[in-house]
Amino acid sequence: MKKIYFLLSFLLCVQFALAQKTISGSVADDQGLPLPGATLVEDGTDNGTLTDFDGNFTITIAEDSSVTISFIGYESLTLNSDSDFSSISLNQSNELEEVIVTSLGISRDKKSLGYSVSTVKGDDIAAVKDTNFLTSMQGKVAGLNIKSTGGFGGSANVIIRGNSSLYGNNQALFIVDGTPITNEINNSNGGGRGGYDFGNGAMDINPDDIDTVSVLKGAAATALYGSRGSNGVIVITTKKGSGTEDGFGVTINSSFTSGNINLDTAPKYQNEYGGGYGAYYDGPGAGFFLYDVDGNGTDDITSPFTEDASFGTRFNPANPDLAYQWDSQWPQLANYKKATPYLAAPNTPNDLYQTASTFINSVSIQDGNENGNFRIGFTNLDSEGIVPNSKLKRNTISFNSSYNITDRFKASASVNLIKTDGKGRNGTGYDSRNLLQSHRQWWQVNVDPVEQIRVYQEHKENMTWNSYSWDDTDPIYFDNIGWTLFENFETDTKTRYYGNANLFYEFNDWINVLAQVSFDTSDSLIEERINVGSVDVSNYSRINRTRSEFNYNVRVNFKKNFNEISLNGNIGANLREQNYSSIGASTNGGLNIRGLYTLANSANAPLAPSEYTAQNMVDGVFANVSAGYDNTYFLEASLRRDRSSTLPITGNKFVYPSVSGTMVFSEIINLDFLTFGKIRANYAEVGNDTNPYNVFSSYNLGDPFDGNGLASNPSAFNNLGLKAEITKSTEFGIEASLFDSRVTLDASYYNQRTEDLLTPVDVSTATGVAAKWLNAGSIENKGIELMLSVIPIRTQDFSWNISGTWSNNKSEVLELAEGLETLQLGAFQGGVSIHAVPGEAYGAIRGRGFQRNSAGVKLLTDENPNGASYGPAFLRTDLNNEIIGNQTPDWNAGIRNMFNYKNISFSFLIDIQEGGDFFSLDTYYGFATGIYDRSAGLNELDNPIRDRVANGGGVLLDGVYADGSRPTARTEHHNYRNPYGYKTGIQEQHVWDASYVKLREIRLSYGIPTSVFGGLVNSATLSVIGKNLWIISKNSPYSDPEFGLSAGNITGYQSGAPLGVKEIGASLKLQF
Amino acid sequence: MKTNYKILFACFSLIFVACQTDIEYETLNRNPKDPSVVPYATLFTSASKSLVDEMVTTNYNTSIYKFLAQYWAQTTYTDESNYEVQNRNISRNHWSEMYTDVLFDFKDAKERAINGTSVNKVGEEAQITVLEVYAWQNLVDTFGNVPYTEALNPKENILPAYDDAATIYTDLMIRLDTAISQLGSAPGGFTKADLIYGGDLAAWSKFANSLKLRLAMRLSDVNPSVSKAAAEQAVAAGVFTSNADNTTLQYLGAPPNTNPIWVSIVQSGRKDYVASNTMIDHMNALSDPRLDNFFKDKVNGAYLGGPYGATNTYGKYSHINAQILAPDFEGTLIDFVEVSFLQAEAAERGYSITGTAEQHYNNGIESSILYWGGSASDVTSYMANPDVAYTTASGDWKEKIAMQFWIGMYNRGCEGWNVWRKFDSPQLNIPVASQRPIPTRYTYPIVEQNLNEANRSSAASAIGGDEQTTKIFWDVN
Repeated sequence: MKKIYFLLSFLLCVQFALAQKTISGSVADDQGLPLPGATLVEDGTDNGTLTDFDGNFTITIAEDSSVTISFIGYESLTLNSDSDFSSISLNQSNELEEVIVTSLGISRDKKSLGYSVSTVKGDDIAAVKDTNFLTSMQGKVAGLNIKSTGGFGGSANVIIRGNSSLYGNNQALFIVDGTPITNEINNSNGGGRGGYDFGNGAMDINPDDIDTVSVLKGAAATALYGSRGSNGVIVITTKKGSGTEDGFGVTINSSFTSGNINLDTAPKYQNEYGGGYGAYYDGPGAGFFLYDVDGNGTDDITSPFTEDASFGTRFNPANPDLAYQWDSQWPQLANYKKATPYLAAPNTPNDLYQTASTFINSVSIQDGNENGNFRIGFTNLDSEGIVPNSKLKRNTISFNSSYNITDRFKASASVNLIKTDGKGRNGTGYDSRNLLQSHRQWWQVNVDPVEQIRVYQEHKENMTWNSYSWDDTDPIYFDNIGWTLFENFETDTKTRYYGNANLFYEFNDWINVLAQVSFDTSDSLIEERINVGSVDVSNYSRINRTRSEFNYNVRVNFKKNFNEISLNGNIGANLREQNYSSIGASTNGGLNIRGLYTLANSANAPLAPSEYTAQNMVDGVFANVSAGYDNTYFLEASLRRDRSSTLPITGNKFVYPSVSGTMVFSEIINLDFLTFGKIRANYAEVGNDTNPYNVFSSYNLGDPFDGNGLASNPSAFNNLGLKAEITKSTEFGIEASLFDSRVTLDASYYNQRTEDLLTPVDVSTATGVAAKWLNAGSIENKGIELMLSVIPIRTQDFSWNISGTWSNNKSEVLELAEGLETLQLGAFQGGVSIHAVPGEAYGAIRGRGFQRNSAGVKLLTDENPNGASYGPAFLRTDLNNEIIGNQTPDWNAGIRNMFNYKNISFSFLIDIQEGGDFFSLDTYYGFATGIYDRSAGLNELDNPIRDRVANGGGVLLDGVYADGSRPTARTEHHNYRNPYGYKTGIQEQHVWDASYVKLREIRLSYGIPTSVFGGLVNSATLSVIGKNLWIISKNSPYSDPEFGLSAGNITGYQSGAPLGVKEIGASLKLQF
Repeated sequence: MKTNYKILFACFSLIFVACQTDIEYETLNRNPKDPSVVPYATLFTSASKSLVDEMVTTNYNTSIYKFLAQYWAQTTYTDESNYEVQNRNISRNHWSEMYTDVLFDFKDAKERAINGTSVNKVGEEAQITVLEVYAWQNLVDTFGNVPYTEALNPKENILPAYDDAATIYTDLMIRLDTAISQLGSAPGGFTKADLIYGGDLAAWSKFANSLKLRLAMRLSDVNPSVSKAAAEQAVAAGVFTSNADNTTLQYLGAPPNTNPIWVSIVQSGRKDYVASNTMIDHMNALSDPRLDNFFKDKVNGAYLGGPYGATNTYGKYSHINAQILAPDFEGTLIDFVEVSFLQAEAAERGYSITGTAEQHYNNGIESSILYWGGSASDVTSYMANPDVAYTTASGDWKEKIAMQFWIGMYNRGCEGWNVWRKFDSPQLNIPVASQRPIPTRYTYPIVEQNLNEANRSSAASAIGGDEQTTKIFWDVN
């Protein structure tokens, strides 16, 4: 037949063929029920059709060709053109028979595996696209905890089965077609006080290129990856060119997503009281500053410009005070020297956010024949965040190809190029370049943020709402919002290449060798700016980073069957080389020329740039053997020895074994309802090294003083006696498929213990150092993971599939090195610190708590730390290191419902986290600055809580005295020293439960009949998608409990938390 | 099959060619950008500068000495002037800076000097010792009992016990005496690396004796005999006799080697501080000529200080004068003004030193006025003020000395606070917002509760509780 491929404007191809015949028939399942929407494709061509509602089809094919009939969930069938097509019957496929890509890209029959593997299909990820594809995997795999940090273009934590390392990287290892991909977290600063989140390395992977994702949990699955597999491995297989004759195909995928802020994750502002920390200034309600603005000799009232809080005077909407406000200070503005009604602004900071948009367009072509195949893909991502002036662009080019040099000798290679350009990422944590720091912690509700941006855009000046005074318009603590967004933005660019080259040679039909070189390199430049006239010293800084990783692998594989015994295995060697270097320079003491961002514009001679360079190597040799008997019993064992350059010679070599066993009991027990069943068990160890430069000491050079060199001891004390940390894990699991695969179950129990944790232990600085490198102790992670899938309804037109995942991970610090009482993971602003404490789960939050009576009720005292005149106060603990929370959740679950009706499918996913806590610096400060709705309103007497107690105001505290009596006196709530803000010094007051139930994803897909396209298109799918549309339930106010500072080991701390974004989008996928 | 072996061989050689020996691996693990060995003079210079920076800074994350002495008040954020030291981890930051960037580097430098071969190593050791004693005294005066004998040894002890404050003082005296005798005999010490005296060991001797006088006078209430003996020795051996002897570090005009006050007030563009009413009211009462040097921006023709501890509008009160805010303004560890008032106290207590209390009192005032740029006639007219003149000024000798000592320590908040703690004078204010009592020490860093709790809590009970109002051992009145 003739067919024209038409692809945008860049491809035109015409094919001719000869003798044809038309066949027709019907397709049904093994019960005889018709299968609508089954595909029939003429082999080796793109000619195909779908069955109609009754399973009937008609197709015209070439003489002497063949047709493959397939339908999801059923085994495909290939028939010659002269076969009988009248009533075709398809058998249901057994999903557990699927082939899994495991360690080092080796494909294995899933039933033989002695460890837990979960697979997600590429289409499941690519249908709902995001700038970070990892967020599309949330809730889909038990034991895989993906936590988005919420920032635009920001990172996501990818943790499999809990944190096994205290200090080190706990992120899962990513392997793309055999290439290890770094998943480093890129945060320019961190520690909760500024910096930007540049995302994580794995987010560069293009979802449109993904064929399947396998999540290998536990050490046994990962022993062969060596050290870096100890956190679990995510193996990604990308799409390949098809190897069949005339397999030429084109795929176009286009998606658009738009996002808007989720107000459930935003502050709710009070609108009754104006700027100030209390009503103790001047003018009406003591809420104003006095200046003689009009020069008539009498003072006029102005906003309390310097005060970044909203505990000031009460607005009087009926008869508002007229005050000179921030927009009266600049001659360019309409309100210059005009007093205007002092009222809550019509817009709150929640109104300044724009609609985010993400366009992702990709096109790929592929072809193949008996000699080889290739695939070329190009994807363009263009995204704007909700914060004005934030943009992310990413172009990805991928190419892979394989070629059969001889029957036995095959060469293949793949290259991916990713160019990412970011601009205006929102700052993180407690930093003026994080808008949310101001809007969640410090703000005047009488200021209109939208007007702030408007005047900036009109005049390009730093017209701050927070000046020194009426006659001094310099910003005191905060810049104009537009100025922050459009002047003091960062830009970043990264070029990354990764891929591999492989040679594969078959000595004979049972032994072969694979040699592979893989690489992953990137160059990036990050530039940060602060313009002249900002609150902060004007500055330009740039940092160039280069990183590269090369892996050299050689592996000899063998596979042989002797009657009932199957035997396969491999021996191999691996060398990994990682290089990292960076150079960062900054202007010194400000900029001379406004708006010119170059080091030459430095006010003083720039200081020496800071340089860093490191190289580390790990080599390993390994062997693996797996034996099967009668397709029923399988036994596998592996052994690996690594040598790392980051450990001292005395401890740089470490050997670790694994062993696993499987029994397919459905081969032994014959039960009608049992389609498939197996049990598995394994034990494995994995060694892990550390980063470079933790063994030998070196000094830090300071900036020279008048020609004198300065050197200082570093803050961490290195240790010549370090050795590898070892994770030992045991796992038991069962997989079963029942009632013709209508019920499938996968359950695992694991216990994973990491010993000799390599940690820079925080120590008392009286030792002269802040931390000391030690093999510090051991941590245990144990838990249960369940996956259950049920198909309650399966008829010819309709099916309903429910699949659920549930996992709990209990992590507990078992012991610490001698002399240690706790391992401090971080100490933060607000007086809290996060710890690993023996007997406690990882991530205990410590600070000052409430004192409670035996019934758990908060105790009160009349000795208010703000002074007795403030009334009763909560009684706080004496020490500041009480355990007041823990960041580790109790369990996570995901429930997905999928409905298929003919060629329409609909699914939604609910993601649940139970337990876990976080400390909020936002409410810690924000409750004191009076910006939130709960800091205004009425008390039990229906009097305003901000009125003085003497006038019937104040609040009755929810607690009792030591004798059990309730308070009779109310507590003052008229200024920042109220009983809920940071002035109480009780950190526990700002520890919130991080539980949530979210409608994570909702999707509607429609397979457009190809007839619509007049036969030009082989398949067309239109999807409409919604992400994070609804937080069904949460126990914390004003923010998304999932969010933190950046991906990393600390998740239980929010400061200037990003806003949640509801996304809806549509995508169209066309295959030619 | 030959081809087969070739391929196999080629594959594996790929790995082995790339492999390196253990020694080569270890080399990779040595940072080529950071030195593993440095001249110990660079450690000395670094630690000296860190010490002066830390004593000079007014960054409210590290130092609130200017609020403890109530020289300045705050504008919008008033936590620090209301003595909430834990919110910003002020005590932790000061503690850490003194131990890690000052004392640990001094210790390292000293060990290398002693084990080295320099002809000047004895002098170098002494220079280090004097600055170490200065830093240790500050830690004790600020916190009370602190880790001392078990401190600074991360290799052996990560849970250092706290030592008794008085015992530390005794040991500091011994160390200082050793250094004084070394300085007298050593042929030389650090020269270029000595940012303070440029290697002038005679000047170092005066510094060491002046510091000894300070240590001695701290003990005057609790251990009069030791105090008397040490003070007399120090004065006899030669303490400062003019401002020219002062222990100062001359900062440079451009960052990063500027005076830290310039960094936190001028460069940052912040207007967090105004003059406090405590300081202005006392000085106005005395018509003190130094007002023009300490402050600027009169309000209605007179200097006006913001109520201490209240939220103050920046524009309404007098501000800090430009002299202190210059980037190259020198930083001072100890000066002739302080030494004069210390001697005035010694004379009043009957210690045998040359000069009367009044002479030393007058020296202190005169050298202070002249240091700040006042004229001889300013001195004369000020001394003529009956509220200033030693014989006619009000109060007992302690109150007289304390008032002028306190004003004279204006740019050295820590010593200003020490004057108040020692003499319980002059009258300071209770901060307006919190009404908290003026601290008599810093509480221990919160992190010590987490990282060294057993030792911290036994120290806390030894000193009478880890409170801001617990008194240092020498503060008995």
